[in-house]
Amino acid sequence: MGPPKGGYAPDLDKFLDTLKSRPVDASVDFLISLLKRRQIQGSESCAIATARVLLQVVAKDKWIDVDQLIGRIQLVGRKLVAAQPHELVIGNIVKRVLGLIRDEASEDRNDIANDSPPGGTTTLPPSIETVPVEKSIRPPSLAAFGSFARSQSMFTLLSDPDFIPSPSSTSQLGSGSSTPQRYPQSTNVQALKSEVIDGIEEIVDEIRQVDEQIQNYADIYIHPGDYIMVHQPSRTVQRFLTRAASKRKFTVLIVVDPSASHISDDPYASFRKALTSGGSTVVNIMNVGLMAYMSRVDKVILGARAITSTGGVVVDSGAAAIARAAREQGRTVIVLGGVYKVSPDSRSHQEAFVEWGSPSKYVNFADGRMVGQVKVRNVVAEFVSSELVNTYVTNLGAHSKDHLHGIIADHYNDEDVNFDLFGKTQR
Amino acid sequence: VSKGPVSVTPSEPKLTIPECFSHLTMAKRIPITQADKDVHPTVLALGQQMATFTIDESITRLKATLLAFKKVIDSYTTPPGNTLARHLTPHVLNPQIDYLTACRPMCFSMGNAIRWLKLQVSKIDPDVPESDAKKQLCGGIDTFIQERISMADLVITEKAAEKIQDSDVILTFGRSSIVERALIHARLINGKKFSVIVLDDPYDRKGQTLAKNLTAEGIRVTYCGDLGGLGYNLQDATSILVSAESMFNNGSMYAPSGTCDIAIAAKQLGISVIVLCETINITERVATDSLTYNEIDPERSSGESLRLLYDTTPDKYLSLVISELGSVQPTSVPDLLRKLEESN
Repeated sequence: MGPPKGGYAPDLDKFLDTLKSRPVDASVDFLISLLKRRQIQGSESCAIATARVLLQVVAKDKWIDVDQLIGRIQLVGRKLVAAQPHELVIGNIVKRVLGLIRDEASEDRNDIANDSPPGGTTTLPPSIETVPVEKSIRPPSLAAFGSFARSQSMFTLLSDPDFIPSPSSTSQLGSGSSTPQRYPQSTNVQALKSEVIDGIEEIVDEIRQVDEQIQNYADIYIHPGDYIMVHQPSRTVQRFLTRAASKRKFTVLIVVDPSASHISDDPYASFRKALTSGGSTVVNIMNVGLMAYMSRVDKVILGARAITSTGGVVVDSGAAAIARAAREQGRTVIVLGGVYKVSPDSRSHQEAFVEWGSPSKYVNFADGRMVGQVKVRNVVAEFVSSELVNTYVTNLGAHSKDHLHGIIADHYNDEDVNFDLFGKTQR
Repeated sequence: VSKGPVSVTPSEPKLTIPECFSHLTMAKRIPITQADKDVHPTVLALGQQMATFTIDESITRLKATLLAFKKVIDSYTTPPGNTLARHLTPHVLNPQIDYLTACRPMCFSMGNAIRWLKLQVSKIDPDVPESDAKKQLCGGIDTFIQERISMADLVITEKAAEKIQDSDVILTFGRSSIVERALIHARLINGKKFSVIVLDDPYDRKGQTLAKNLTAEGIRVTYCGDLGGLGYNLQDATSILVSAESMFNNGSMYAPSGTCDIAIAAKQLGISVIVLCETINITERVATDSLTYNEIDPERSSGESLRLLYDTTPDKYLSLVISELGSVQPTSVPDLLRKLEESN
């Protein structure tokens, strides 16, 4: 999938290296071009790049109050989303950062109002996601967080009655409090800045820890003797299965990318080795229609590119057919993806999530009769509707479709959830 | 560049098919030298063509087999002290059949036709002179090809073409020669203006040939190399046109792997799935899932990877089966078999 040669093509690491030495605007423009050229691709890379570039905006831009900062982040966010509108995580991270700024700012206000010592206990849960979720403490802590967080979101809903989502307005008077200004002039911009920067760093850490945390749930879902089908497994999925294989034996059917099948070396060689060393069986499946295997398959595990608020999943092209086949045969479909992939985006049109790629994947440009006369399509990413998914496993544990709203409420500020990052840049 | 003696083709690597698929059949390349000495040269060549999938479609394999058997019968002489009716099948036909089956598992139509041929041989009156008997058998084969293959294809092509209306969008999968003929018939003979979406199996990409042949006849074609975005591609389609490798007695369709996935998605969108199938491809057997009968692709399967050639689509995903004896609901496929038995 990646660039064929090492070469000089910039990628995520090179981009991150250049961040410090460049002016913010140049970094933003650089990232936009990298996203447009798909030189940074994959949800994790896009998420990290977005978080890092926003961190630069916070750290280096001159802003005098919160509203100005929020406006700036929204502007940059829109540009990034416009560069790769299919990668929902970019918008997710932008909205997370916006929420982070709002939380830190209102915390500031509370501090002044209550005259409580700085750094005291906060009432808002801005960093639930950073609580390391250990397997042992998972069930109680999750339940606790769930109810707690939900009551919080209910509270903000009630205290915010005339909230109207408006893409351009960033400083509306939505809060029912008597404060004349949305966020009071922070006496200490510097303190807020460092708080926000720390918060963004935590988001990046969270993203980087996702695979490690998700794999902790592998034992629960993979049983001895299972036949598991995976579609072009991402690193998240590979680590999930590898963890399970360290304890039990099962069979993994890997649906490979057909365009890579002529390459003699197995793209999943190390993954295969890790599984087979524990006694599990791994078979590469060289088919695009997978219904043929479904009577044998127990579970399908798909890696998500993004998960929408309604439970739909953006997946690599080809995975939707597997999910459909699994549902017809009554097999379990488990979707893996970090919480950062759960998007408040609620677009309902499936077409909006279909991403088209180069038609040269299967048709040679030298083939004149095909190129000249036939309309060639190649889908890169597609959409799996929530009816086809049984369970979502994130770094916070397993969720049902109905619980995804809770995750969104925990991680995003209501004011940002409906902010339309997809609107044309208006300024 | 290696010098020295030309290296002998390495013997087939020992395949370790995962146990859950080990019951399925697979084509093998048998060196001609290892074939039974009784195998006729025409059959030898045919076996190689089948093993390499040069001849692939069920109906093509059937026709080639029958024509080869005609040559076998033609060159046959009954040894003294034997009768043709009792000698030909076990001593001459069976070695040919065994060899062909070893090269590639027989398709259902070949099984049907060979059962018919053996019956014809057994019916030969011992008193009929050998040359007359041979002429009778070869004539019988010709009629069989004419009725069950050539005429059947013609009737099905016309019936399928009639289903296509102006501004239809027909979606098909891979390349099937009868689907191709039906589409071209609808365009050239019936003068319909419609477009075609070709979805393809990226592992054999025969759909590209279909796309080219159709555009050459002035049909607008959209091509998608795999089943990615299947739901999206189907939205534009007005009907699905595929051909069956075989139809089972319970109305299930045996067709190239991927057909079932398309039929499922089509069913969800309420798009009709039309199956073209000559009655010779109907088998009295029943498949409950895709792993009851299937074939493993010898080219792309190894100890580490596997590719199934077919899948089985349950009747609930299919709308109509067009055969030369009429268009029926998939569940009425057994009726076609009964009709055939009655007519014989």
